[in-house]
Amino acid sequence: MIGFDVVGFLVSWLTLFGIYSILSISLNVESGVAGITNFGKVVFYGIGAYMSAAITTYLILILNGVDVDKTPPYNVNGVILLGQLGNKDPLLNLGLLVLSLILAFVIAGLVGYLLTYPILRVGPAFVGFTLLSSGELLRIFLLHYEPVGASKGLMAIPTPFGWMPDSRARDIAYLGLVLGFLALTYVITNKLVNSPLGRTLKAVRDDEIAALCLGKHVPRIKATILFTGSGFTGVAGVLLAYYLTSVNPNMFVPAVTFNAWAMIILGGFGNLRGSLLGAAVITFVDRVLTFVTPYLGVTVISPDYLRWVIVGLLIVVVLLVNPKGLLPERPIKTPATKEVWKELQGEASEQRS
Amino acid sequence: MINFVQYSFFYLILALPLTLSYRTTKVINFAHANFVTYGAYIAVFLHGIRGSNSMALAAALAFLIVGGIAVLNNIAVFTPLQRRGSSPAILMISSMGLWIAYKYVLYMLTDVAHFFTSKNFVSYGRITYSDVPRMSMAGFDFSQAFVAGMISSALVLVALYLTLEKTKVGRAMRAVADNPTLAGISGIPRGLIINLTWFICGGIVAVGGVIWTSFSGAITPEAGDSMILQIFTVGFIGGLVSLFRTSVGAVLIAGIENIGIAFLNAYFSVPISFKPFLTFATLITTLILFPPLGAGGGLPYRFLRRGARQ
Repeated sequence: MIGFDVVGFLVSWLTLFGIYSILSISLNVESGVAGITNFGKVVFYGIGAYMSAAITTYLILILNGVDVDKTPPYNVNGVILLGQLGNKDPLLNLGLLVLSLILAFVIAGLVGYLLTYPILRVGPAFVGFTLLSSGELLRIFLLHYEPVGASKGLMAIPTPFGWMPDSRARDIAYLGLVLGFLALTYVITNKLVNSPLGRTLKAVRDDEIAALCLGKHVPRIKATILFTGSGFTGVAGVLLAYYLTSVNPNMFVPAVTFNAWAMIILGGFGNLRGSLLGAAVITFVDRVLTFVTPYLGVTVISPDYLRWVIVGLLIVVVLLVNPKGLLPERPIKTPATKEVWKELQGEASEQRS
Repeated sequence: MINFVQYSFFYLILALPLTLSYRTTKVINFAHANFVTYGAYIAVFLHGIRGSNSMALAAALAFLIVGGIAVLNNIAVFTPLQRRGSSPAILMISSMGLWIAYKYVLYMLTDVAHFFTSKNFVSYGRITYSDVPRMSMAGFDFSQAFVAGMISSALVLVALYLTLEKTKVGRAMRAVADNPTLAGISGIPRGLIINLTWFICGGIVAVGGVIWTSFSGAITPEAGDSMILQIFTVGFIGGLVSLFRTSVGAVLIAGIENIGIAFLNAYFSVPISFKPFLTFATLITTLILFPPLGAGGGLPYRFLRRGARQ
């Protein structure tokens, strides 16, 4: 293990962990808490990533006075120009980051909202399948849509911290940004799950008809939650695009969705901390495999395939052996339950004395 | 036009088992895509490694092996989950897990096969079989895939009809589909019937996969995945319950896709690979206009539209 870069490994692992955690937390809110079988995470992820990639590359070229009709960002000249112009102005880069985050949230959320319309009235199988196939359609569309580079995708996306001279500092700043967004996502979703809306969501998940009879507007609730979840997924997509500095359609295969599913199943349905744990474990395995692969040399079987088989089997085995996951769902703490708990403890201590 | 009929055959062979397996076992099986691909790859491995040119042999072997895999899935995964009372969503997710695992196991197998024979198995060319005739009639040339598709879909239709309607096993299968508990009480061996259904479904789909190898120009481990949208849409048109409606759906989707895209391509120069968008549009329309309620847990209250109550 000569020259094993521990800090580099940690930074790349934590960045991926942050991005995937946002994905898995929002998936957990949708699927684990609200019971929407969302197999189409990758749609919103892809929309977010492509949104930021397209906005950043096009706007940087346009603002620097390049004619994008002649040198679009996806051809060779465009890529070279992006490399030269991309990292000059810190303010511009950060501004583009904010712009693409906002747009990605809104647009991914809106797509999620629109997709709820046909699937509100049907069961989980149809919901899952419709979202799954919309992911494939997005990929086919991107493969043939020339302005975003078709099958080549977009490359050399200027990153928000590209103006920093030191690459390590750049990576760490970016890691801070990702973890900041992770914290934000966690706090917001945690509040949401523990709010009255969160309890309604669990009611919808456990028994849709009962929730309906109690006067809850099930379709509207589902639509709301898919809007929020998709918005956060869009943000994760933006962070991914800036981290990898390139996007191409074949990054957004349905397998990405299952990665997130494996995380929440491993971590535990309906438990947000479980999603963090699941994301940490799976991204760690992923990173280790990536770091180890070069040392293995040529193998008969590509380690990449092995990785996916592990993910698939993990889902099945965890569901079979321990369906609640590593961290089972806990009851929600409301002010009322706290009061009751205090009363109960008070009674117990009185009896003892 | 030939394509339209050809795809109708494919969708018939591939989607009928989906409906059959769902209604008997109540599992939405996403590993259905694997059955297609594994069927295709059994033919590919036979051709590439053993040099066999017989479609009949490949189909028979595929039927047995993939049927076996389907039964194995059921015994190892679905039955334990169902016995614990898992929700349909959980069953569906577990079939997703199986889907990924099987898919990449196949990729590994192609790697191993490549290691031994140094042929490219990840994208395999069309196979020409020696035991399927080519026909030409009224000026049309019918390819091997067409003949095989025609024969096997006719066989499947007739065999399914006869089995389900005329034999004891078929009646037992329908009984389990309608009310599993009651069927169990009446002395029908439920587990056996469900396993048998899986075996038949897996087998039929695998034969569809074998025929695919004589049609598609490039057989990849993604072959089944690329068809899953169409297969499931066809199944959903049948509401995952009615075999007859599924058959109609197969012809309908094949028509919409092939004739529709030919039209769009000719007049609006839409690329042929945008075919799935038409299917997706059909899927959405079906879900909005004729939501398949009851199947897969749709809410019955949505039958009522405003003002339709009198």
